[in-house]
Amino acid sequence: MPRPAALRPAAARLIDLDAVREQVLPNGLRLRVLREAGAPTLSYATFFQVGSRNERPGITGISHLFEHMMFNGAARYGPKQFDRVLEARGGHSNAYTSNDLTVYYEDFAAEALETVVDLESDRMRSLRIDDEALEQERGVVMEERRLRTDNSISGLMDEALEALVHQAHPYRWPVIGWMSDIERISRADCEAFFRSCYAPGNAAIYVVGDLDPEATLALLASDYGDIPPGPAPAAVASGEPEQRGERRAEVRYPAQGPSLLCGWRAAAARSPDAAALDLAQVCLGVGESSRLRRSLVHQSALATSVGVSHGWRIDPGVFSIYAEISPRVKVERVERALATELARVADEGVSAAELKRARALLRSSVLHELGTHNGLAQALGQAEAMLGDWREAGRALELYANVTPGDVKRAVRRYLSPARRNTVVLVPERAP
Amino acid sequence: MSRVQQPTVVRTRLENGLQVVVAPRPGVPLVAVRLLVRAGSALDPARRFGLAHLTAEAVRRGTRRRSGPKLDAEVEALGAVLGGGVDEDSAALGLSAPLEALPRLIDVVADVATCPSFPAREVEQLRRREVAALEHDLDEPAVVAGRATLAAAFGEHPYGHPSEGRGRDVAATRRGDLAAFHARTWRPSRATLLVVGPVEAAPALALAVKRFGGWRGAPGGELEIAPPVAAIAPAVVIVDRPELTQVQLRIVSAGFPRSSPDHAAGLVAGAVLGGGFTSRLMEEVRVNRGLSYGVRCGFTCSRAGGLFSFSSFTKVETAGELVQVALDEIARFREGGPTEEELERTRGYLCGLYPLSLETHEQWAEKLAGIELYGLGADEVTGFSDRVRAVDAASCLALARRWLPAERRVVVAVGPARRLKAQLARFGTVRVVTARSVM
Repeated sequence: MPRPAALRPAAARLIDLDAVREQVLPNGLRLRVLREAGAPTLSYATFFQVGSRNERPGITGISHLFEHMMFNGAARYGPKQFDRVLEARGGHSNAYTSNDLTVYYEDFAAEALETVVDLESDRMRSLRIDDEALEQERGVVMEERRLRTDNSISGLMDEALEALVHQAHPYRWPVIGWMSDIERISRADCEAFFRSCYAPGNAAIYVVGDLDPEATLALLASDYGDIPPGPAPAAVASGEPEQRGERRAEVRYPAQGPSLLCGWRAAAARSPDAAALDLAQVCLGVGESSRLRRSLVHQSALATSVGVSHGWRIDPGVFSIYAEISPRVKVERVERALATELARVADEGVSAAELKRARALLRSSVLHELGTHNGLAQALGQAEAMLGDWREAGRALELYANVTPGDVKRAVRRYLSPARRNTVVLVPERAP
Repeated sequence: MSRVQQPTVVRTRLENGLQVVVAPRPGVPLVAVRLLVRAGSALDPARRFGLAHLTAEAVRRGTRRRSGPKLDAEVEALGAVLGGGVDEDSAALGLSAPLEALPRLIDVVADVATCPSFPAREVEQLRRREVAALEHDLDEPAVVAGRATLAAAFGEHPYGHPSEGRGRDVAATRRGDLAAFHARTWRPSRATLLVVGPVEAAPALALAVKRFGGWRGAPGGELEIAPPVAAIAPAVVIVDRPELTQVQLRIVSAGFPRSSPDHAAGLVAGAVLGGGFTSRLMEEVRVNRGLSYGVRCGFTCSRAGGLFSFSSFTKVETAGELVQVALDEIARFREGGPTEEELERTRGYLCGLYPLSLETHEQWAEKLAGIELYGLGADEVTGFSDRVRAVDAASCLALARRWLPAERRVVVAVGPARRLKAQLARFGTVRVVTARSVM
């Protein structure tokens, strides 16, 4: 998203954007390298532009299941070798899958760079996909689902909310997938998935830390250059009908008391409203002096805790508010109080002081993120994946600085209206 | 091998006994301020479990100069959130904000730590919230497992209850309890103030003297926690949660304090057996059998003692199998110790990753606070690699035989007792308890 050129110098201080070296290999793989002094370490992140958004019913959860498969060996480094080799060289690895992305990252002592490039390029080139590995990871992922969703109240409620907010869009199913789909994903599904979604043209690599930029680019080009390009991933069915009225769901589960989770379909990351919604999030629910914590937790004491969440996604995601309800308080009272607070922002907006506070909190949070090599690599990758350009990572503060109280009011009025609300109520049940 | 760049740390003890530690280091233009007080939950009086935690929360709800809402607004306007926390040994207040806010940060921390007024309404609301939070914890199987594990490991020792306390005790706590606990334990001679970031030492120290120099704690004797006496017998505790389809599992036994010479060998042995993605337990439990998503074990070390714990989870049907695999792996390690390949890999892993735990100002503040709290040496950071490299097969094996559990260990399971009893009976006498009894 182009932004006024006059604002750019301030951004350059946040990340030295001029120091980022970039290259695109003939097979489509994008390389971005940033030398950063500080700890004698490197962070290495590989972003694949694939997440649950790219799935379809019947194979929901395949992106996440596949993330597990990536640790099961390739042509040169066989089963169990990836982490062994990396750990011996003083590094560790992990990965995450979101609605939009699958990201692998390694943090390690700087001298292990060649080993990491070797390990990562090996699995992008020649991952082993066999029945044994698939069955093993299927079992592990089913345990992960039992942990995070089936035996977790917040997991059950989040899953119910996404399915309410999105009726047509792939965001309606959970990233981990439905249990019945995890059970049936086949080896052929995985092989087809790897060919297109893990082709170099669908990936970008970010290396940040104690490195020589030119030598690092040369090393990457030589190790990844011969990986053949693959077919483009299928287009995403990203449509979603307009919501015309509140939708509600109940989750019945053994619990000590009721909880409330409300969600609204938010703006896409590329929309100028995304930053306004971030500021609305902080004004409403970050810190003890935020509106909802002050009114619902400290003043009326209707809730024992309140949290507001808003994450950027490629297509419009979810803005949500969660409340743990005080003993002997009826859920409806909290719903009404919440609606009143939102209506107040929609009608009157937020004050300049509130906005200043929100900007200060967001500034600290951005600076914290950029304080580590891993945080920098993730920020560059997220910016490119969400906004189409890694340079946007250096402009986060400008985005927030440009939001006015009027923008916050408009965003709350437009996105968080009662008619677009989705409500999930936890109804406590007795244990069987 | 990469070395951590240690800042030049300036340590000064003020006349009132407060230790001030300033660590100037380059980096993002934020400064971290942390106050650590040896006022942890091990000092909770009988029938007031949770008092240390409640006190550390309540100091932030108002002082003689600032109301709770004023404190919140003032700190948050700086882009900071005043965090706090309590563990068994200490209470901590911490925040970080843009560099230019340093005088204000120190002023706020001093005000909160030395002049809390415990406003009646704020305290009452806080108490209600804490009781409700403990109720909600009943719905978190991993939290329930953690509480049952502490009780199994330490029994009646002050480390035997979690910092958050017990519901009925927190419900019975009054404002006077907080003020008395604060006066007894929050004293300058028991506290360390840490400032880390792109600051100069002298002005930071002057700010500390100006705001903390007048802190006069109540007189009183030393408050020390006696080491726990290991009295763990083989047993199985099942916390009954009939609705769960997945069981949280723990195995726990006695350990050693943070200052023990066994610490480095414990770190290496724990990592070989149950740290990272390539540990023996990860290999057997997750990779070879697909029994769980996660599995860990290792030593947790406090000021006066510690414990060894194993933790994982699996579907109800395979709970007994998972415990058996874990105990077999522990026994195999006691028998033969690590291989040379495992040792080399693990030492490389621990030393390579160490700098990553010290990237930010907050991480340094926490590390330097730990050095003060546990009475560690000046070479704690710079000597880390040498200590880890010095751990060989013989010292690992000796550590394993001394500290890894053979008979004296407790298995804790949170799940449906009816379906677990038969599976777990082979590991010791089974006792079934309700989740509420451990809260």
